Amino acid sequence: MAGVDVSLIADVLQFIGVFVSFSIAYVSFRGLKQTRSPALLRLATAFLFLGVGFTVQAVVSPPFLEGVVSVLPALTTTVIAGLLVASALMETAGYFFLAFSHALDVMFSRRMQVSLLLLPVFTLSAAQTTDALSILSFYFILYGVVETFTAYSKNRKPDTLLIALGLALLGSGTFVAWLSLMYPLVYVLSLVQIIIREIGLMILFIPVIGYVLGGAKASGPI
Amino acid sequence: MGITTLLRKGNMSYSRMNKLLTELVGSGLLLELNKEKISRYMISERGLQFLAAYYQFEDFAQSFGLRL
Repeated sequence: MAGVDVSLIADVLQFIGVFVSFSIAYVSFRGLKQTRSPALLRLATAFLFLGVGFTVQAVVSPPFLEGVVSVLPALTTTVIAGLLVASALMETAGYFFLAFSHALDVMFSRRMQVSLLLLPVFTLSAAQTTDALSILSFYFILYGVVETFTAYSKNRKPDTLLIALGLALLGSGTFVAWLSLMYPLVYVLSLVQIIIREIGLMILFIPVIGYVLGGAKASGPI
Repeated sequence: MGITTLLRKGNMSYSRMNKLLTELVGSGLLLELNKEKISRYMISERGLQFLAAYYQFEDFAQSFGLRL
């Protein structure tokens, strides 16, 4: 019973991540429309992918899955497994675009930057696609954390530091998710990883709040 | 503001500044005022809106450690 409650809470929290990701994507698309900035296009694409990935993950998980299967009985285990891989792929693509934005920023700025060249080589189980994608996601998040901290060291904006912390929490959540795979009987780990990730995502929502409070001054077409 | 002042502040060549001004006037972000055969430039309402949007989204992008 405790396990079911944990997964229900985890699933509800997952939808918070969906909301945050799509909100950031929406603001970025508005900015793209106003300024035609490629950086905002990449940011919007990143969070769009993340939002879709989180949505699929939330839908294809135990509490909601029962409802989905009752409506769509043809949803076999294979299809569900495929959807889980697809959601992991979307997440990885999202983190890739985030890291890619930073990489392009470094390349075009001609500044001396420290690039994270280490690849996380440890894995919890061999040859599982979602685990491999999870590792890639972790790498991209880590790169994003390093570059965002570097950007903070230059611009000294509190929001930038918060975003770096948010990304670090997302990475930590991924790490705890691996631990929950290693210790499946420790039910609280799966809830802890979701909570850490949601706190990280809520921190990423701060610039959206700043944008909304700023009044969305240029609301018309330019 | 005349082109000389713009050249001084922008620190670019005359031909490049001229090209830029033509583009900005063409897209409606700047107004060109011809007074006594001298061209002067003024930011338009649309230009002000663009600047406001630019600063706002620049702030947003910088929060993620990116630049527009």
